[in-house]
Amino acid sequence: MKPAKEIRVGNIIMVDEKPFIVLRSDVNGSSRTGFTYKWKMKNLLTNAPLENVFRGDDKFDVVVLDKKPVTYSYFADPLYVFMDEEYNQYEIEEENMGEAINYLKDGMECEAVFYDGKAISVELPITIARQVIYTEPAVKGNTSGNVLKEAKLENAIEAKQFTIQVPLFVNQDDTIEIDTRTAEYKRVVRN
Amino acid sequence: MQSTQGFPRSLAIFCKVVDNFGDIGICWRLARLLRHEHAIAVTLWVDDLRSFRRIWPAVDAGAEVQEVDGVQVRHWRGQDGGFDPAGVPDIVIEFFGVELPPGYVAAMARRDPPPVWINYEGLSAEAWVEGCHTLPSMHPRLKLTKHFFFPGFTAKTGGLLREAALLDQRDRFRADPAALDAFFAQLGLSAQEIAAAKAGLRVSLFCYPEAPIDGLFGAWEAGARPVTCLVPEGVAAERVAAFFGAPAVPGATATRGALTLRVIPFMAQTDYDRLLWACDLNFVRGEDSWVRAQWAGRPFVWHIYPQDENLHHVKLRAFLQMAAGSVESLIDFSLRWNGAAGTTTDERPDWPALWTALQADLPAIDARAAAWQASMLANGDLVSNLLRFARSLR
Repeated sequence: MKPAKEIRVGNIIMVDEKPFIVLRSDVNGSSRTGFTYKWKMKNLLTNAPLENVFRGDDKFDVVVLDKKPVTYSYFADPLYVFMDEEYNQYEIEEENMGEAINYLKDGMECEAVFYDGKAISVELPITIARQVIYTEPAVKGNTSGNVLKEAKLENAIEAKQFTIQVPLFVNQDDTIEIDTRTAEYKRVVRN
Repeated sequence: MQSTQGFPRSLAIFCKVVDNFGDIGICWRLARLLRHEHAIAVTLWVDDLRSFRRIWPAVDAGAEVQEVDGVQVRHWRGQDGGFDPAGVPDIVIEFFGVELPPGYVAAMARRDPPPVWINYEGLSAEAWVEGCHTLPSMHPRLKLTKHFFFPGFTAKTGGLLREAALLDQRDRFRADPAALDAFFAQLGLSAQEIAAAKAGLRVSLFCYPEAPIDGLFGAWEAGARPVTCLVPEGVAAERVAAFFGAPAVPGATATRGALTLRVIPFMAQTDYDRLLWACDLNFVRGEDSWVRAQWAGRPFVWHIYPQDENLHHVKLRAFLQMAAGSVESLIDFSLRWNGAAGTTTDERPDWPALWTALQADLPAIDARAAAWQASMLANGDLVSNLLRFARSLR
């Protein structure tokens, strides 16, 4: 049993004796009343989508599924194709990609997750590095407090490019580390 | 679909008093509203009857089961024990996500039909609340689904707790000078003190111990306009005692400069409403008194419950952005009162300047409060909204 606060996007959980994949997780709330986890899920048996909200301490059975290291190969609309080291190809539906789609990059290493012999999702490392392909230059003097700006990240599929909030000192072409659980900036990677 | 006629007839609220009086304050208000305005048989499970007694003196702190103002009150002693499905009511409300006794949840699952299970959440003006309001939360193992219900400030939330007659009662009280005098006399003020209070600015003060009271008292002392500040017993007791140089017991009073400070008895909910109505400016804290201050329709300054990593500052800013309009003095004052302003921790607030600006804007804040109240009324009242939602699940 795992509490909701430890469950990651891509995990398969049992709810009402049915397997659900967590496609998206938004955490909100307060330390006073406890955090809430709003999950977009999909029933793996029926493909029916579901949106539920849970408390951080709600406990779930996590289904331990087979996983295999794979690398992203190419997009065959609407399937994302991954390949293992023996050149076996695995196709994953776009709706099962979850947040991973935001970080997709040619040759990206991740883990394919299998249910009933079929690749159903991919799990990302907690921390990944991506290059900033566009962000506004910092405005002189506007450097106090927690001021943030948007940064667009490199992505294998242009239409899926997304932005995260970064500090003002981050420049275009910088490589930054991101926490894939929260889509939050962690630090600039300096070589 | 099952008929919703006569639904619900019974309801249980589970309340844990984490600290202070907000948890029981809200649950008790909710329980009384359901009982008196919707004729529902309500059972209130509370783990701390002593705190309950502070806001409702009729409560017997030693009773396992008692009836208080038409509500069955049960002492919630722990998570053990078995429960009979026949004893589970039509609606079960867990307040602020408290964990219900496992045996009770099992009884809920065995009941036919299962109860409507509501997780009653904390009030916030943050945008994400709308996206979570009324969402389901399936039980991982049992055939039960609870639903999250969020109070709030928009039509996409549950609204605010409000008694049907509240605003009429408030307006009648305000229109009756004798009632105002009698109320102040009940708090222990002499006729001379009442006259002085009415000639100056009447302020109620309810805050957490972290509030920068010394700066505020200093600004009031040095101000030109007399201020009578009424502070309930136990609120910021050390700082108030420091002002007196003596224990802050009910009846203690002292005047320094333009400030007269008086300690009043800790009071029941209904009296606290009258205090908010009787004052020109109210300092409130947490959630329950914060909501009551909004219904009082007077200028108020909110002291938000402090949280780790200053998460409460986000909640405070969300509320100010929504409710304070363009009254900068109220925003500045509120941020400073909560330690949420400034870019460096050693930057000291200029309390005389903050107070001067706030005082000058009190008429504008008063007008803003009326507009804000009108928008809250448009969202309906929380209990009616909650019951409508519960019926939609049947």
